[in-house]
Amino acid sequence: MTLAVSRRRGRRTPVDWPVVWSIVRRDLTAVRRSKGVVIPMLLVPTLLMIVLPLVIGIAARRVSGPTTSISFLDAIPDRLAEPIAALPPQEQLLTLVLGFLLAPLFLIVPLMVSAVIAADAFAGEKERRTMETLLHLPITDRDLFLAKLLTGMVPALAVSWGGFAAFTVVANAVSWSYVDGLIVPNQLWLVMIFWVAPAVALLGLGIMVRVSARSQTSQEANQLGGAVILPLIFLTVGQSTGLLLVDLSVGLAVGATVWVLAGLLVWRGARQFTRDRIASTT
Amino acid sequence: MTSPTTAIRTEALSRSFDGRLALDGLDLEVASGEVLALLGPNGAGKTTTVRLLNGVLRPDRGAATVLGLDSTEDGDEVRRRTGVLTENAGLDDRLTARENLEFAARIRGFGAAEAARRVDDQLERFAMGDQADLPTAGFSTGQRKRLALARALLHDPEILFLDEPTSGLDPTATRDVTNLIGTLARQHGRTVVLATHFLGEAGRIADRMAVLDHGRLRAIGRPDDLAAELWDGIPADIDLGRPATSSVLGLIAAVDGVIHHEVRATGTTINVRDRAAFARVLHTLSTQDVDVFGANLRRASMEDVYFALENSFATEREPAT
Ligand SMILES: Nc1ncnc2c1ncn2[C@@H]1O[C@H](COP(=O)(O)OP(=O)(O)O)[C@@H](O)[C@H]1O
Ligand SMILES: [Mg+2]
Repeated sequence: MTLAVSRRRGRRTPVDWPVVWSIVRRDLTAVRRSKGVVIPMLLVPTLLMIVLPLVIGIAARRVSGPTTSISFLDAIPDRLAEPIAALPPQEQLLTLVLGFLLAPLFLIVPLMVSAVIAADAFAGEKERRTMETLLHLPITDRDLFLAKLLTGMVPALAVSWGGFAAFTVVANAVSWSYVDGLIVPNQLWLVMIFWVAPAVALLGLGIMVRVSARSQTSQEANQLGGAVILPLIFLTVGQSTGLLLVDLSVGLAVGATVWVLAGLLVWRGARQFTRDRIASTT
Repeated sequence: MTSPTTAIRTEALSRSFDGRLALDGLDLEVASGEVLALLGPNGAGKTTTVRLLNGVLRPDRGAATVLGLDSTEDGDEVRRRTGVLTENAGLDDRLTARENLEFAARIRGFGAAEAARRVDDQLERFAMGDQADLPTAGFSTGQRKRLALARALLHDPEILFLDEPTSGLDPTATRDVTNLIGTLARQHGRTVVLATHFLGEAGRIADRMAVLDHGRLRAIGRPDDLAAELWDGIPADIDLGRPATSSVLGLIAAVDGVIHHEVRATGTTINVRDRAAFARVLHTLSTQDVDVFGANLRRASMEDVYFALENSFATEREPAT
């Protein structure tokens, strides 16, 4: 028995990428056709990345005195506040809110998208009773798990980055007449988009892999996952709003911490993602 | 060493769930090209056996060798060469019939063009061409089974595992699917393991039957051989147009060579030691002026053997009653 196990571990087959991408493509095709998945996935990013900057842009036009933004500036570190305080009032508000305060809030997007899709890819597959078909196909457990991770990761990054592109256009458009040059992208946003967001997406996946192993339906997984992920969102947003504004290096460190956490969760998930275990629970 | 004509071989194959044995020491050998009916009531361990053979589940004890490969160690290689029709068709209802099949073809390593060609061929063969581009959500159980069977055959598997292939089908669909399986086995020489709790027409196409009960293999062999073990003698039906009366049964029982007799709606079914005894029974009935509308000495059907075995397990389990 021990011998058999060690022999199995010792033999490493390379990842079969065509097979992995076939699964990802099929999963995403199916997901695109589920209104229950697509609508929340597009609604939240639209509100956060397009509607919110528009509203802020319109609100900024009504600011006449320095009062509103000064109270914001009191709350953030001097090193950041001083250059902003030197700007005219409208420019202060726009630079502060669009350039800095919204950045942590944006993390909701990758977290939500990856979690919703992962629930569909793991628990949903059980629910639709298509998992057993997959298990009877020549796919290694590792490749199947990898495919499912990519199924969550690809749309999470696509929506995040696409959303950020839209946000960049809207944010700069609404502030064009008040601000010299572009508000975004700035360093903080770049760290958020390319470093923290992928980590947060992976964290969403890691959580949902665990949750899905215990749920029979994607709805159940979403409820259970929501219970874990929502407080996490507030914590992340709350903490990072403070932390990330302190220093860019703190932003990098926050990202690194999330990467490690997500990596651990996913690694555990991968170890438990075996045919035998999945077949035993379906 | 497994001989080249052995397709499947298991030794003491066992698996439990939550401490309860679902399969208990299965020893089985299936020859290449053979159609084996794996029979047993719900919960007997048929699906577990299929999953173990295809390397989806790991055995707690024992081993399975399929096409000369260890099902656990070389699971993916085994699965490359087998096709499975699972109990539930397992179609993604958000995809069309064609998309469901193409997905499986791509996973099995066919390029886009070859996958498309094979899928078209299968859809044609299973008369699903008209529904090819419809989502499977609206399909009937029969259409789902056909599509799942088409998917299981895309890659010309050497072994076909069919788990309850006719459950949920109406009589016509059952006959169609059964005929199809029979053709596959006969014409293409495929090894088929047909797991079912519902004998229906399965008996018609299987060479041998294996009967599982509570995870244990209780009998395996050709129906005729098993019949000979179960009962001495040959069963025969006598059509009297109505249930046999006790006086008629008395006449029959008194004939030398009659082992057993039972009342049927249209007469009686008897067991005779040999053909001569059967002739004596018919002679007795005609001399006593009993109207006989038909009489037939038959070979044991898989169904007879199965129900007789089931009965014997039941009496073993409840010796008091
Ligand atoms: N994943 C599982 N978890 C717990 N028990 C299981 C599981 N799979 C099968 N069993 C049990 O094992 C026995 C055999 O099941 P199965 O192989 O599905 O039987 P069959 O296919 O003959 O109806 C049953 O008692 C069933 O309840
Ligand atoms: Mg079953």
